[in-house]
This record gives sequence, C-alpha cells and structure tokens, in this order.
Amino acid sequence: MGSPITNWDGATAYFTGFGSSTPGIILLIAIAAVVGAIFVGHLHESHAYSKVK
Amino acid sequence: MEQQLAELTTKIAELEAQAGWGTTVAVEAFYWWCTGLMVIIHAGFLAYEMGASRKKNVLASGIKNILAFAFLVPTFYFIGWWIYLAFPGGLIPDLEAGAGGLPWSESMGPNLADNASGIFWAAFTLFAATTASIFSGAVIERIRLSSFIILAIVLGSVAWILAAAWAWHGDGWLLTKFGWHDFGAAGCVHMVAGFFALGVLINLGPRIGKFNADGTPNDLSPHNLPMATMGLMMIIVGFFGFLGGCIIYNGGDQWTTIFGNPATLSAVAFNTLMCFAGGIIMAWVLTRDPFWMMSGALAGIFGAAPGLDMYYPPLAFLLGMGGAASAVFAARFLERTLKIDDAVGAVGVHGFAGLFGVLAFGIFASGYPNVGDYPATSFMGQLIGAIAMFATGFLPGYLISLLLKGMGILRIPREAELLGMDKAKVPVSAYPEDPHHAAPGAVPA
Repeated sequence: MGSPITNWDGATAYFTGFGSSTPGIILLIAIAAVVGAIFVGHLHESHAYSKVK
Repeated sequence: MEQQLAELTTKIAELEAQAGWGTTVAVEAFYWWCTGLMVIIHAGFLAYEMGASRKKNVLASGIKNILAFAFLVPTFYFIGWWIYLAFPGGLIPDLEAGAGGLPWSESMGPNLADNASGIFWAAFTLFAATTASIFSGAVIERIRLSSFIILAIVLGSVAWILAAAWAWHGDGWLLTKFGWHDFGAAGCVHMVAGFFALGVLINLGPRIGKFNADGTPNDLSPHNLPMATMGLMMIIVGFFGFLGGCIIYNGGDQWTTIFGNPATLSAVAFNTLMCFAGGIIMAWVLTRDPFWMMSGALAGIFGAAPGLDMYYPPLAFLLGMGGAASAVFAARFLERTLKIDDAVGAVGVHGFAGLFGVLAFGIFASGYPNVGDYPATSFMGQLIGAIAMFATGFLPGYLISLLLKGMGILRIPREAELLGMDKAKVPVSAYPEDPHHAAPGAVPA
C-alpha cells in the first residue's frame, strides 16, 4: 500500500499500491462488495415481500 | 550563427512540446465534458421512469434506475473495458490487445503517461449505463430489484460492450469484413438494449391489470406525465454529449468516426437536429401524445444515427420521421398483438427504431468507402450487423431472465405488486401528504 513512487520525475502509473499485490487484493474486495451488495438486496427484498404475503 | 540555430531548434522543440500537450489536454477535456453531458441522460431517465410509474411504485422505480447506473460503473471497470479491447475479432479474445483493459493494468488507474484510457473508459461506462437505463424503463413495477441488477450488469458490462467491440471499434469484424457503419451506435447501444428488454419482457410478463381476459390492453397511465416528458427532453440534451463521444478528436487533424472515416461535428449538428425534429413531428401526427412526441424525438435520432456523419439533412429529417413511425407501430404491435407490456415503449423506441436506422443506412448510404482495404458500406453489411446486434441483445436477455424465472426470483409477489412496491420495501414516502401514501413501509389492513 502507499505510494509506489519516490519522485515525480519520470513517473508513469502511480496509483496506490501499483507494482505490488495490494491492488489485486483491493480489486477482489471490491468485487466481493458488489456481489455482497446484490445479495444483501436480495435478502432485503425476500424479507420485505414475505411480510406482505 | 551556430548558437542562434541551436537556440532556434530548442525553441521549436519547446513549442512542439507545448502544442502536443495542448492537444493532449484538449482531447481529454473534450471527452470529459461529453461524459458530463451524458450524465444528464441518466437524470432524464430517472425523471422519465419515475414519472412513468404509478404513484405506488414511483420510488421503487427511482431506486432501480439509480442502482442500474451505480452497479454498471464498477462492473464495467472489472470486465467491460477488457471485453471491448479483447473481442473485436469475434468470440475468441485477443489477450494481447485486451491486456490494457484488465483491471490490474497500469492503464486502469492514475498514470502520467496515459491521458486517454480513463476518459475513454468513462465515456464507454456512460454508454453502458445508458443501455441499462433503457432496459430499466421497460420492466418497471413488477421486476425484482436484485434480479434486475444482475440483468443490467449482463446487459451493460457484457452484452452491449461485446456488441460494441464488433460494431463500434476500428478493428471490429463487422467493419473489417462487411463494411458496417453506425456512427451513433443505433446497433450496439439501442438495438442491443431494446431487444435485451424484449427478451426479458417475454419471461417477466405484463403488470397485473395491463390486459383484460380477452387480451385487450388497459391504460396504466404514468402518474406524472409532465415529469416523464421533461425527463425525455433531458435525455435529448444528454444525447449531444453521447453523440460528441461518438466522434474521434484527433488533435491537430480532422475529426474521424470510430470507423476511421473523416467527419465533422458540423455534419452531426445538421443531422441530429433535423432527425430530432422529424421524430417529434411524426409522433405527433400518429399519437398527439406528448410522452410519445418526446419518445419520437429519441426514435428519430436513432432512425438516422448510423449516418449522422453523412446524410443530407432533409434525408435525416425524413429518417427521423421513419424512426418515430417504426417505434410507434412496433409498440402498438407488441402490445396489441403479442401482449407484451413494455411500460415505456423502450423496445419500440430503441430496438425497432435502431433497427430501422441501421437498415436505412444500408439503403440510403451504401457505397461509401471505408479506410484501408475494408469493404465499402452496403445493405448486406448493415443487414448482417443488424442480425448480430439483435442476437447479442435478445439472447442473453431471454436466456438469463428465463433462468431467473425458473429460480422464482424474476418477479415480485402478486401481493406486493397489488400493494405497491414503495409500501412493500421503501422506507420513505414519495407523497407523504397523500393519504394513500402517508405511511412508508406500512401494510394496510
């Protein structure tokens, strides 16, 4: 995590964690968050609709 | 003398570098503002979809529309851009070409050596969100939100962008093998989204009360037609960003289309306004309904979208009329004959008007040269492309919604549909002073 550069001269990709495994881990967490949010939405709907029935 | 020459050379190099940066930043800024304008499309879709809903579902429709946008952004980042870069040749990915679109690529984040990837990704993400919003309106008032989100992701982050790799890419196989041309994305955006919606609607079924026992349709009118109509006008405003994003800004050289042929924004300006007007007028003649007049404006643009860079403006006007007519007649056919309940006419406006536009280009603009050794434009090229766009939209929409239906999670329960989705699951009320909507989440006795 943190800065992958120590100097702006000649810097190219400089996003947090670039060049390490950190972006991969964050990417997986982000994917899991999207899937999880859909699942939470599904549970909420099931609960809400079961009350209506 | 030598010193003066050296100073002059240095000065020229500095000026060239400044001009180069000026061009780079101008290109970046152009697409930035196109993307910003395209957000207005979604403001429009939000107003239009909520207005088109009945009072009891207005907030649920808004939530669905907002979430379509929200879920499309990360999923398009995860997979969409890679699909676009990797699949122009067909169904087998070019892993080398696609590498720059992988979410761990150095191009997919802040990079001082890359002023292009982020801004083009953003523009295409907005196109993706547009496809999801098109689909969203068709299925209001009875689809389950979580299933809708899954379908929207399939449409916006997979189906449309696969179609765009084929039909809206300088190396797409429809261009390189058949000379396909579709400046304004009538095929990969509008046909794909419209026919995806049709595939889902077949499995989803109509809203309760839409059809009588004898099959005659009832009018489930929008609860706020002025808001829906204003929303449609906002979509038109946003389309100027959309169409700006369809042209390639080459810095110090003439604009080109995504297919490589030279073009001008002036051409697009002439034709966009002409087909927009034609669409409104035809829809007025056919319906006298302001909702359909503004839908006709959209359908008019799609009816001429493939050739906005080439048409003679009065032809664009007539094609706008044709696009609107195709949308109105298709919507009537779907409702009256096939008993399909498309709440906002999205299949007609986007699917059929897009189809009309793609084929009309083959009739009125065949024979234009393409760059390199690619075939010239032709009716057959447009027909083959139209079939590909239809299949890329309809098949995933139909098959995945069939799967969700089989799992029992495509549609909300009958009781919730009768009560209204807002009362069933939304914690706030759209119209708290209305006695029928005063208690959010409450279930009436």
